[in-house]
Amino acid sequence: MKRFLPLLILAAATILSAQAPNQATLRTPSGDRFVTITHVEGQTFFAADDVMAALGGSVTPDGTGFKATLNNNLAAFGPDSRFGVIRDELIEMPSTPVVVAGRPYVPWQFFQGFLGKTADMDVTWDPVGRVLLARPAQHTVVGVQLSVANIQGISKVVVGLTAPTEYAIVKDQMAYTIHFKTPIRAPFPEQSYDDVYVSKATFAGNDLRLDLKAPDVAADAYKLDNPFRIVLDFHKVAAGPNTIPGLTPSRPVDTPGIHTIVIDPGHGGKEVGAIGPRGLMEKDATLTLCRRLADNLENKLKTRVILTRTDDSLVPLDQRTAIANQYKADLFLSVHMNAAVVKGAHGSETYFLSLEASDELAKKAAEVENAAAKTASAETADLKLILWDLAQQEYLNESSRFAQAVQEEMNRATHVQNRGVKQAPFKVLVGATMPAALVEVGFITNPDEESKLQNADFQKLVIDALTTAVERYKTDYETRIGVIRPPAPAPTASTDKKAGT
Amino acid sequence: MVLAFVILSTAACKENKPPLSPNLAKENKVAMRTVSLYYESQDLLLAPERRDLPLPENPAGALDLVLRELVKGSANAAVPRLLPADTVIRGVYLLPEGTVFVDLGGPTLTQGWATGSHQELMAVYSVVQTVTANFPEARKVRMLVNGEPAETLGGHVSLARSFAPQPSVVAR
Repeated sequence: MKRFLPLLILAAATILSAQAPNQATLRTPSGDRFVTITHVEGQTFFAADDVMAALGGSVTPDGTGFKATLNNNLAAFGPDSRFGVIRDELIEMPSTPVVVAGRPYVPWQFFQGFLGKTADMDVTWDPVGRVLLARPAQHTVVGVQLSVANIQGISKVVVGLTAPTEYAIVKDQMAYTIHFKTPIRAPFPEQSYDDVYVSKATFAGNDLRLDLKAPDVAADAYKLDNPFRIVLDFHKVAAGPNTIPGLTPSRPVDTPGIHTIVIDPGHGGKEVGAIGPRGLMEKDATLTLCRRLADNLENKLKTRVILTRTDDSLVPLDQRTAIANQYKADLFLSVHMNAAVVKGAHGSETYFLSLEASDELAKKAAEVENAAAKTASAETADLKLILWDLAQQEYLNESSRFAQAVQEEMNRATHVQNRGVKQAPFKVLVGATMPAALVEVGFITNPDEESKLQNADFQKLVIDALTTAVERYKTDYETRIGVIRPPAPAPTASTDKKAGT
Repeated sequence: MVLAFVILSTAACKENKPPLSPNLAKENKVAMRTVSLYYESQDLLLAPERRDLPLPENPAGALDLVLRELVKGSANAAVPRLLPADTVIRGVYLLPEGTVFVDLGGPTLTQGWATGSHQELMAVYSVVQTVTANFPEARKVRMLVNGEPAETLGGHVSLARSFAPQPSVVAR
C-alpha cells in the first residue's frame, strides 16, 4: 500500500490542480467531468444544467422554477422551495436552490433524490476532493426472519426484516413471491410447514417464495413498522378468479368484540379549531362534550374509554390515532364542530376516511398481483403505499357502518339538518387500525347552532345520540362476528355479557 | 430572476398590454382566455365563476396566474373567500404525469388557520377544481405550504397525498 501512496497523492493532486475554484468533478461509471459550483453561506451548490447535461439530461426554465429532465423523468424545482418534486414525490434538499445570473444551482442532494428515485443510483459528495460521485446503489444486506402461524383460521406469515426495504409481491397459481429490492440474508434455504394454507417457504437470491396448498387461497398483505415487518394473511377465497385479494375485511384480534373505545376531542391548545360568531372555540366545545360522552359510554356500555386529551393541551394529529393504536382500541371517534363561509350553513355530518381513488387502488392491487416479476423502483415505491392502503382498507367497511350509525342517531336525537355520511382524507383518521369516524356535531359558525352547542340540554341529546350509535354498532358488529347471538324476533335491550377489558 | 420575470409578466397582464420582454419564448405568448374559478355557492357546493384573463399559452406559467386570481376572491362581494384572505401562491409546478404541485403561503397558513372541516375541505377542493377544470393536462393536485410538505392547512384535511377532482363537492 505504501508503495502506491505517492501515486494516490499525485492523482488527488492532479484532480485538485485541474479543478478551478468554481469547479467540482462529477464522477460517473462513464468517466469524470468538471461541473460548475458556487458557494452561498458556506454551502456548495451545483449548476443543475451542468450536472444534468453531464448525465445526459437537461435543465430548462419552467413557470416560476425549472425543470430537470433525464431519461424521460422530469423533476421540477425552484428558488422558492427546498423541495424539488418528481412524480408524486418530493426531493428534499438541505437548502433552497439559488439562481445566479439566471442559472439554477442546487445542493447535491437534489441529484441524490433524482437519481435515487429514477435510476437506482447513489450520489455522494466528497467536499475535500470536491468529487460528486454517482454510482449504482450499494444496498446493504438485510436480515430476514420468518414465522408462520394459524390464528383463528387465518395463516399469518410474518416476514421480519432488520431494516425497512422496498419489495414487490407477485402471485402465481399456487405461490406468492416477495421480491426484495435490497439483498437479503435468508434464515434458511427452504422449510416446510404443517399449516392449513402454506406448505413451504423457499429463499432464492432476493426472493422469498411461499408455496400454497390450494389454488383458492389468497393473502391480505400489509406492512408494519418498528420493527419493519411484512405480513401476509392467507385465507380461502370464496369467489371466482376476479376477487382481489387484500380487500377482504379480516382482523384477527385477541378478544373479538368492541372493548376499548378512543374518543378524540378535536383540536386543543393553540390549535383552537373553528371559532363561532360569539367566540365559542371548537377546542372547548369538543372537550366539554367528549368528557361527558366518555363517562356516559363507560357507565352504559361497560367498555374502556380513553380520551386523546383531557385538558386544553395540543395533541398532534398523528398522535391521536397512535394513542388508539397503542391501546389496541376497537373503535375511534373524533368529535368536531364545523365551519363554513356560507352564512346559515347548519346541520351535522359524519365522515370516514377516503382513500384517494380507491377504485384506482383496487385496480393497481390487481395489476400487482397479476404482474410478472417487475421490480422497478417506482413500482415498488407505489406498492409500499398500496399495501399500507390495503391494510387500512380492511377497516373502511366497518368505518362506513359505524359512521352510518353515528349519523342516523344524530339525526334521530337532535333533529339538526342531516348532511349525511361522507368520505374525506382527514388526517386524524389516517393510520387508525380500527373502525374510525369523525362527527361534525354542528356548525359553530352558525349563531343558532353555536348557542345550541353551549346548551346543556342539547349537549345531552348529542351525548345520548353518540352513545346509542356506539352501542348499536357494537351490538351489530359483535352479532356479525358471532360473539353475541342475534337478537330474538322481539328485540330486547341486550347488554354485552362480556366485561370490558 | 424567474420570479421577477413572472411578476413583470403579471404586471403586464394587469394593464392588458402585450408582454414587455422581447425575449419571451413562443410558448409564453400571452392570449386572453376565459377561465373558471371555483368558490362556494349558497348550497355549500363549489360553483364556477368565469373570468377573462390574459394568460401565457404555456400551462406552467398560466397555472400560477389562474391560482393567483382565485385567491383574490370572487368578483361578487356576496361570495365569500374560502382560503384565508392573506394566502399567497408561492409557486406552481406542473409535472408530466399530470400532478400539479401548488405551493401556498401567507401569514395565516403559516401561523395556523383556525377553521372547521367543511371550510377546509372546500378551500382545498376550490384549488383542485380550479386547476383541473381549466387545464386538461392537470389531473391531480398536491399542496405544499411555504415550500415544505405540510400535514394540513387547518388541522383537518391531510395534504400527504395528491387530490383528484371530487365531483361530489361541485355544483352540477
